[in-house]
Amino acid sequence: MGVGGPQAQRTLGRGHPGGSSWSGSRRRVEKGPCPPGAGSGMSGGGGELWVTPVSAPPQMEVQRALERLHMTIFSQSVSPCGKFLAAGNNYGQIAIFSLSAALSSEAKEESKKPVVTFVAHDGPVYSLVSTDRHLLSAGDGEVKAWLWGEILKKGCKEVWSRHPPYRSSLEVPEINALLLNPKENSLLLAGGDCHLHSMDLETGTFTRALRGHTDYIHCLALRERSPEVLSGSEDGTVRLWDLRTGEEVQTIEVYRHEECARPQNGKWIGCLATDSDWMVCGGGPALTLWHLRSATPTTVFPLRAPQKHVTFYQDLILSAGQGPCVNQWQLSGELKAQVPGSSSSLLSLSLNQQPAAPECKVLTAAGNSCRVDVFTNLGYRAFSLSFS
Amino acid sequence: MGAVTDDEVIRKRLLIDGDGAGDDRRINLLVKSFIKWCNAGSQEEGYSQYQRMLSTLSQCEFSMGKTLLVYDMNLREMENYEKIYKDIENSIAGAHEKIAECKKQILQAKRIRKNRQEYDALAKVIQHHPDRHETLKELDALGKELQHLSHIKENVEDKLELRRKQFHVLLSTIHELQQTLENDEKLSEVEEAQEASMETEMKP
Repeated sequence: MGVGGPQAQRTLGRGHPGGSSWSGSRRRVEKGPCPPGAGSGMSGGGGELWVTPVSAPPQMEVQRALERLHMTIFSQSVSPCGKFLAAGNNYGQIAIFSLSAALSSEAKEESKKPVVTFVAHDGPVYSLVSTDRHLLSAGDGEVKAWLWGEILKKGCKEVWSRHPPYRSSLEVPEINALLLNPKENSLLLAGGDCHLHSMDLETGTFTRALRGHTDYIHCLALRERSPEVLSGSEDGTVRLWDLRTGEEVQTIEVYRHEECARPQNGKWIGCLATDSDWMVCGGGPALTLWHLRSATPTTVFPLRAPQKHVTFYQDLILSAGQGPCVNQWQLSGELKAQVPGSSSSLLSLSLNQQPAAPECKVLTAAGNSCRVDVFTNLGYRAFSLSFS
Repeated sequence: MGAVTDDEVIRKRLLIDGDGAGDDRRINLLVKSFIKWCNAGSQEEGYSQYQRMLSTLSQCEFSMGKTLLVYDMNLREMENYEKIYKDIENSIAGAHEKIAECKKQILQAKRIRKNRQEYDALAKVIQHHPDRHETLKELDALGKELQHLSHIKENVEDKLELRRKQFHVLLSTIHELQQTLENDEKLSEVEEAQEASMETEMKP
């Protein structure tokens, strides 16, 4: 990172509170100006660049430094053995970090860099999920699968790549969320075309499309006890779908409830998590805990910033979003702790609870920087892995 | 590096005491003085040398005894340390087990706390709604009031019907009377006209 430091200065463009779409339907992220194109694209983007002419650095290094500055890591996934972490960024690259090397007692600076980085998609990698043998990555319109056993070798090729049946072939909507359904061995995809597609992992065919949302879908969650899927979308509703019949069971319009609605932020649902009886959702409206059977909001968590990722962990609810901290909440609505990370806002959290590697049991958080923060203990940030 | 310093050390030691340190030197001196004593001349010198040799010998025996005692002591210390080491290992294993046990208890306690908090959250929502008994009582009261009011309404309507019917009877009787009066008037007019025409017929 010191390469770009003394030799190039940059004024950062304005941040985008609440997100805005750059092209078509995109996820809400805080992004600076678009990264400059290859080579001489320095006048592109919204900032200005001064290069002091003392010693002209090679173009590549400046380019790389700018890329690191504008990187956003959208998604993370842990390997089935628990020892590796895959992270996908907005340039379409996936980096594999070795958690066991970085957590061991002889960790050096190089252990905090990726073991291997490869370009997976042309566009950003919005979602990553792991089965017990494959890593599935989804970006602009396609899902690709990579073998975890092969991924550490150079020149890894995808095992298969599919795209769900879209109605119009003109626009290719992005896939924002992937969800594995282990009981039926199927993958659920949801994204810009407002439908949930279900793909059978053995045959690779798309079995069902669940229609009902009126705007693009941000997030998915699986309810274990009954085979239902929850999907949260830009149109402000959380819909429950029954997987056996393919019908919409319930619609919860979060923005209509006064306790949690925040019309100044919009009505979009950015994050969802469920515990079979309870559900947490947030985004434009405040982060709220819902009781699913009665569809009533029970606790509103008092945080102003919209949250982008939320998850249940033991007796806590962990959430992260705009703002550098990972927030830990108790179900009663009290804030138990706010632990700052190293990015200015966070987009994804990942808890490594794989039983095969209990020594790598960490929480990792990534957002709009090139760093992935590792929390060995929920109370403080241990160190950060860096994308390169 | 280690090899060099070893050489240095050996060289220094060889330079400093050629025959070995302390006890080795004493034994060598003893051998030399024994040979000297065997070759000694006078009785007195021989006797003093003999005394000196005895003292050296006793010194050697003394240091030998000391070394043996130290050796015993070291052995016993070793055993003691072994014992302490084993004790500490056992207590470490015990502590590990206790830690695992406590971790399980923590998980259990967290689950309980989560359940309690879920219960509290639901209870808060339920509290907002009024009590079922009260609502039932209110419903009962309202039902009774409704009945009472409809009863009154029925009564009032009955009264109204009755009055209407009576009025109707009254009005119809009045009309009949009117009709009868009109009929009578007409009859009387007709009779008068008839009488008038009969009189005009009889006059001429």
